[in-house]
Amino acid sequence: MDTLKKNDRETPVILELQNVSFSYDPEELPALQKVNLKIRRGKKVALMGANGSGKSTLFLCMNGIHRPDHGEILFHGKPVEYTKKGLLELRSKVGIVFQDPDSQLFSANVIQEISFGILNLGVEEAEAREEVRKVIERLGITPFQDRPTHALSGGQKKQVSIADILVMHPEVVILDEPAAALDPKHTKIVNDYVDQLAEEGITVLIATHDIEYACAWADEIVLMKDGTILRMGTPEEICADTDALHRTNLEEPGALRLYRRLCARGILKEEKHPPLSIAELERLL
Amino acid sequence: MHTIDHYCYHSGLRGVNAGLKFAYAAATMLICLISRSLAAAALVLLANGILTVKKGRIPFPFYRKLMLVPLAFLILGTAAMILNLSKTPLDSYAVSIGSWYLTGSRNGIRQAVRLIGSSLASVSCLYVLSLNTPMPEILLVLEKLHCPELLTELMLLIYRYIFILADTASAIRTSQNCRLGYQDYRTSLRSFGELCAVLFVRALKRSNDLYTAMEARGYDGKIRILHEKRPVKRKELAAVIVFELILTGVALWIR
Repeated sequence: MDTLKKNDRETPVILELQNVSFSYDPEELPALQKVNLKIRRGKKVALMGANGSGKSTLFLCMNGIHRPDHGEILFHGKPVEYTKKGLLELRSKVGIVFQDPDSQLFSANVIQEISFGILNLGVEEAEAREEVRKVIERLGITPFQDRPTHALSGGQKKQVSIADILVMHPEVVILDEPAAALDPKHTKIVNDYVDQLAEEGITVLIATHDIEYACAWADEIVLMKDGTILRMGTPEEICADTDALHRTNLEEPGALRLYRRLCARGILKEEKHPPLSIAELERLL
Repeated sequence: MHTIDHYCYHSGLRGVNAGLKFAYAAATMLICLISRSLAAAALVLLANGILTVKKGRIPFPFYRKLMLVPLAFLILGTAAMILNLSKTPLDSYAVSIGSWYLTGSRNGIRQAVRLIGSSLASVSCLYVLSLNTPMPEILLVLEKLHCPELLTELMLLIYRYIFILADTASAIRTSQNCRLGYQDYRTSLRSFGELCAVLFVRALKRSNDLYTAMEARGYDGKIRILHEKRPVKRKELAAVIVFELILTGVALWIR
């Protein structure tokens, strides 16, 4: 499935799923069914869908945690090798930040926690120490770097779990509902990190239920339902398809709803590119 | 558990090399246990009290409470050495109860007091270590002492997840309490059983999630992490050596 504009089609594909199916229990419905997806380098992709639609399973397949029952996953055009070496290579380049930081953070303190991934890549201790220091500074973790992980707040845990992945210098960063259970302040911090990653040219995939955020941030939105990709396209294309949105338990952004009502009342004229965010609507008004 | 952990991370002795603290605690404990000297025990109790409360900045009421726990066990445990029920009175004291005596010997009392003193001093050594050294640093010392990796890694994971399980248990208990889950003995038993069952299932799920997250970062069966470096300072090393020498002298000459 590839619905990008011509310019974007020239961007190389970094991760590709071809007819990927995966099932946790052979007697039950598969968690993923014949998923075809191309992720292009440097793009910002938002995955949306109801709980249980297969977003997290898809992410785990992309990182090589789950091996598809059918189909193939290609990284830089080469099929993923499910050997120790192949998986280590994939996992060093495709990092996942899990939804619940408590499932990810296992070490007793922040420095130990962040060092785990990079040391697994076989990096020397001195170099790993330097990399950990850099990522701690970059993500503003310094004030709580000496604290035990269990004494951190939810937002701080999320910051550390992002640092866990960034220290490995991945090419693709997957964030599974990064703003879940965060207060507005920490949501903003996490969103700023995500923007930074994208600006640095890292391919970012996010699972989110926040349509406003997805529309404002993403280059592409993928709608998932029952383990399949229901719809994929630019935020404008997705928002225009209200049926697909409703089928995935989503609603169009508030700004777009208000814009349509204002158009219906003749207050605003129909635009070629309808506003998807409050800021865009404000500009129109 | 939370409190002890909090004090460890804020202790004034946190900067001291964990290996040195470990060596101090082990050597001091050994001298106390082998010598059974009351004078040595008193010196150790005093030194450890100063180290923990003054240097380590652990609040005295908390330290006193911690020390009272083993003291209660020791008093109960040594009661048999102090109190005897006999038909003939012993040399220290005797209270007649009919044709019997509640009595004790001087030797028995001396032994009990020595046992209490040296045991309490030994426990205080463990407190110096555990109240002033964060768990990861203790684990590092164990690793350097060639303690099996499997054991230290398990300890690390248990240490990390014990807090999560404690928080989960507390949340479940609150939720049960809100719905009158502990209103009488019968419901309390039932609720507690359910809490244990849910906790077990959640612990299993957590362990699965954790394994997945670790695998995603290249885990291959060995936990590789960075450890903080705190070199041994000459002054501190000298202080420990001098103290152990004095303690050995006291233990040998003042029994």
